[in-house]
Amino acid sequence: MKFDRAKVQRLIADSRLFIILLLLGAILTILSPRFLTIENLSNVLWSVCLIGIMSSGAIYAPVTGGIDLSVASNASLSGIIAYELMNVGHMHWVLALAITLAFGVLIGLVNGVLTTKFRVPAFIVTMAAKTYLFGFAMLVSNGATITIMGPPQFLAIGVGKFLGLPIPIYIMLVMIIASHILLKHTGFGRKAIAVGANEVAAKLSGVDPDLTRMIVYSISGVTASVAGIVMASLTQQAYAPNASGYELDVITAIVVGGTSLMGGNGSVAGALIGAVMVGFINNGLNLMNIPASYQPLVTGVVILLALILNQGIKMPAFLRLLKRA
Amino acid sequence: MSEQKEESGLLLECRGINKSYNGPMVLTDVDFSMRHGEIHALVGENGAGKSTLIKIITGVTNRNSGTMRFEGRDIGLEHSRHAAQTLGIAVIYQELSLIPGMTVAQNLFLTKEPRFRMVRLIDIRKMNAMAQEIIDCYGFHLKATDIIDHLSIAQRQTVEILKALNSKASLVIMDEPTSSLTSTETSQLFDIIRKLKEEGIGVLYISHRMEEVYNLSDRVTVLRDGRKVAVLDEAQIDPAEIIRLMIGRRLEESESHHMLSRRDGEKVLEVEHITSERKFTDISFSVHAGEILGIGGLVGSGRTEVLRALYGIDPIDSGSVRFFGKPWTPGVAQSIRTGFGFIPEERRLQGIMGAISITGNIGITNLDTIRKSLFVSDRKELSLARKAIGLMNIKPADPAVPVGNLSGGNQQKVVVGKWLIRDLKVLFVDEPTVGIDIGAKEEMYQTFAQLSAAGVAIILVSSDLPELTRLSHRILVLRKGRVIKEFAEGEVTEEDVLRASSGLVEGGAK
Repeated sequence: MKFDRAKVQRLIADSRLFIILLLLGAILTILSPRFLTIENLSNVLWSVCLIGIMSSGAIYAPVTGGIDLSVASNASLSGIIAYELMNVGHMHWVLALAITLAFGVLIGLVNGVLTTKFRVPAFIVTMAAKTYLFGFAMLVSNGATITIMGPPQFLAIGVGKFLGLPIPIYIMLVMIIASHILLKHTGFGRKAIAVGANEVAAKLSGVDPDLTRMIVYSISGVTASVAGIVMASLTQQAYAPNASGYELDVITAIVVGGTSLMGGNGSVAGALIGAVMVGFINNGLNLMNIPASYQPLVTGVVILLALILNQGIKMPAFLRLLKRA
Repeated sequence: MSEQKEESGLLLECRGINKSYNGPMVLTDVDFSMRHGEIHALVGENGAGKSTLIKIITGVTNRNSGTMRFEGRDIGLEHSRHAAQTLGIAVIYQELSLIPGMTVAQNLFLTKEPRFRMVRLIDIRKMNAMAQEIIDCYGFHLKATDIIDHLSIAQRQTVEILKALNSKASLVIMDEPTSSLTSTETSQLFDIIRKLKEEGIGVLYISHRMEEVYNLSDRVTVLRDGRKVAVLDEAQIDPAEIIRLMIGRRLEESESHHMLSRRDGEKVLEVEHITSERKFTDISFSVHAGEILGIGGLVGSGRTEVLRALYGIDPIDSGSVRFFGKPWTPGVAQSIRTGFGFIPEERRLQGIMGAISITGNIGITNLDTIRKSLFVSDRKELSLARKAIGLMNIKPADPAVPVGNLSGGNQQKVVVGKWLIRDLKVLFVDEPTVGIDIGAKEEMYQTFAQLSAAGVAIILVSSDLPELTRLSHRILVLRKGRVIKEFAEGEVTEEDVLRASSGLVEGGAK
């Protein structure tokens, strides 16, 4: 086979994030002997599974050039709704969860309709949704912290194990893989990328940008709802600020993963790597017994470094490609 | 020096201007002058060098050689936008340089706002009063507190002009200012231009509309192929003569006469009395299999709008369309599935997804053929991309390269190529060769000829007259949203088309 410089460059560009993750892992292994154990790594995965689940669906908004800030409020609300249906309404747990998920879709659909049909920027629509969904959650839960005692099948979602690994990790991996296939190997995924890359050109190619965006926000809504159910089961609690602040962690994971907020590209695998990277940092700081008050500062700086490193490798390759063309 | 200034009395004097961007000469030895308080029209075909000359005068680009004097002062080879502004040269853009959310006064005084003496905050009341004073002084129908967003395009142009006047411009340049104006707005603009002239301000006016040039100008400079061919004084201005000068040399070449030929293939598309409010009125025509139907006319005559409506992007208010004899309601997705293709104008804005690979750009239009139930076949998509790259000779022939990294010609080949791998029946083409090199242009022409030979009906909109007359089997000319002329048989020249576009249908000047 002929040596193809462009192909090699692309291969490096495509896997550079993974290389950065390995580097980070290597550094942490040197700093703490307890880092590189199966148990610890499984702990890290477990700690990022809610972020991973939310990212698997929330990534489509940036792919189309939008953003979804309502995922955390949606997740908290979903936990409360599931509790109300199962434990107050005495509904069968499967039916209760199905209705909860349908509600998640509805929340996303409303976001989608508002951004497309009423031409309100996604940032504002989902920012408002974040607030009113929180308000709705406060109303339904009376502002209380609810403890969920059962049913056992429901609690098993969060605390159960399979082959030694917690079930939420499997849920996250399945959703990440499904989302990867949806983005890269289906017509819908292509359309979402096209809408983000150039909406006019996409429209002239037969894509319906409005319909695509409505589906995008619906997906974001349903994955947030899944995360909310897993979280309620895992913490055995439901309350309005349960997932508070997660939307920014989700966006961090997506952006560190190489997805541009401007739209037109996206990497689900990257988002998972991004989430794991943040998990690594937090875990490493814990292992090294660094006080909690220092941790956000270090995390922020390392995220920034990862982003710059990511860009830094991309720029020269990009310039060379330009010169060649 | 100052004596000379008095002698020549010229506002602007350019001598022997030469310019080339990489390689071919865009301007060769061009002389151009403007007197104080004159309305001077600059005319020429697309590519004649008008925009380049304007860019040189306004300092957007630098000339390679030649001298330029403005109000008696020499302008060095290193000219700049800022220098042009300081000298008093202003360009009126349609809306680009205004900030939409701000008021007229805020735009007029941007960065030059009057301030209170003690606390250096902006004195809004004083600013509004000052702005209103300027507006009233010229008798414009505007309020200082109007917000730009709420103004019509014509009013925005007025604000642009005010901005130029406020910065003490003595030369105002307008590039096709009427292309998006209604006729009332146009006549208002003309009043303003005449008022500027009374104030002693020179107006350099670029237009394709002969009647405007005829009505408005004191002098006309005609450019052709980057050279000045004539400067006409008021008494000599005659639209038919101007058109002859613009086309000029090519008339002597055999290429400028084109035989139109009838195509008697099956009627693919029949358009009957379609109308879309404010865009076009009562358009009827039909296209046969294997026919290239050219649509000529000026920018803003409704050409693009007709294509967009037939492809299904914009709605049609009344009238009907038949496709192979059956009633047809256009809609983009169905159009594509049924065998329509569309090559839009403004490649970067509408044609390509720059950050996405050639494969991705081609795949998105062909999702129907590369999709098996839910999933897209990467293998099929890649083979389609390779096929298109081969058919159009796209370079580099690497399907994974982002289209934004290709040259203009190759980008356009991707836009065309994605239709060639489909079972095409009708292809709409809008200004297909703007900004691409000659080699790519020729390849594009061959592609259209091959498609036509294969029975595809092509509707071609082009402002490039040699292109339009060379490729078309039949030519419709639109003017103000209506079909004003059809050239169906016999011989057609670029001059014929341009005269029809300008409203000089039956030869005589108006």
